[in-house]
Amino acid sequence: MNFKGTLPTLILEALVREPSHGYRIAQRIKERSQGVLDFKEGTLYPALHKLENEGLVESYEGIENGRPRRYYRITKTGRTALTKDRAEWQELSRAVTMILGEA
Amino acid sequence: MVGLDRWLKEVTRSLSKDSAAQVTTEVQEHYESAREAAISGGATAESAERLALAALGDSNAVNRQYRHVLLTSAEARVLRQGNWEAKAFCSRTWLKWAFLALPVALLLTGTAFLLSGAFASARVLLAGGIWMGLLLAAPFLPIYTPSRARLFRGVKWFTLLVLFGMFLFAFGPNALRMSWLATSCLWPIAWTEWTRISIRRKLPVAKWPKQLYI
Repeated sequence: MNFKGTLPTLILEALVREPSHGYRIAQRIKERSQGVLDFKEGTLYPALHKLENEGLVESYEGIENGRPRRYYRITKTGRTALTKDRAEWQELSRAVTMILGEA
Repeated sequence: MVGLDRWLKEVTRSLSKDSAAQVTTEVQEHYESAREAAISGGATAESAERLALAALGDSNAVNRQYRHVLLTSAEARVLRQGNWEAKAFCSRTWLKWAFLALPVALLLTGTAFLLSGAFASARVLLAGGIWMGLLLAAPFLPIYTPSRARLFRGVKWFTLLVLFGMFLFAFGPNALRMSWLATSCLWPIAWTEWTRISIRRKLPVAKWPKQLYI
């Protein structure tokens, strides 16, 4: 399913509970959407860099299974942005459901 | 790995050396995790590699996205050159004064033209002197916050537009014929400024060198 434009919000949501690396973020989004949101994983990193440039996430070096990995964690600004995005999405979703649900 | 190498080569096209290294590391980490997950799910080594590569997506589309968020080689060159110029300019006192003498000379010549009654030329020289003064004195001004930087750039662009307007005014009907002069003078400035706008978008404020503030 095409969900262009919502990937940054989904990434922030995936990072809300704990910091994570790119691969796990991608898997988490796919699992939580039960495979409906199947995106090309190469596009995840440009989105992560954009969020980092905007100060919504920050990255650090971590180790997983003895291998160095780049981890991302959500910042305070990122949490605020996520709350705003979530409210906007719920409002939009309610409005679209009101229209399409009637058909 | 041949497939991944080719994919990475396409994805890192036009990116700076540092950006390309960063992309290579993160994609290789991702690819390894995806490959291992596929193997533990029962796939053969060959099909695991194919699946991991396919999951990454179209290399050209990913390259376009990376070029929007990471420094390209052209931007890195502008940044490097700017840093070198700033270092050379600020570390030699005689050079600093020599450069600052240029706008002063322009302002003095402009004043002389003004007094002799050549108003059109005087206006261009005076505006040019102010703009050049702003540009050359900028590294020594206390501009180290994004809001001050925005204010400074606003003044700089406003003065540049005034200068351009005065150029047109000074040459009157010949302005169009002489536009090659203005274009050739302004093109390098416009290109560098455009590149800096792009760099500002890509680098967090904490990592901005002084040249990005001005």
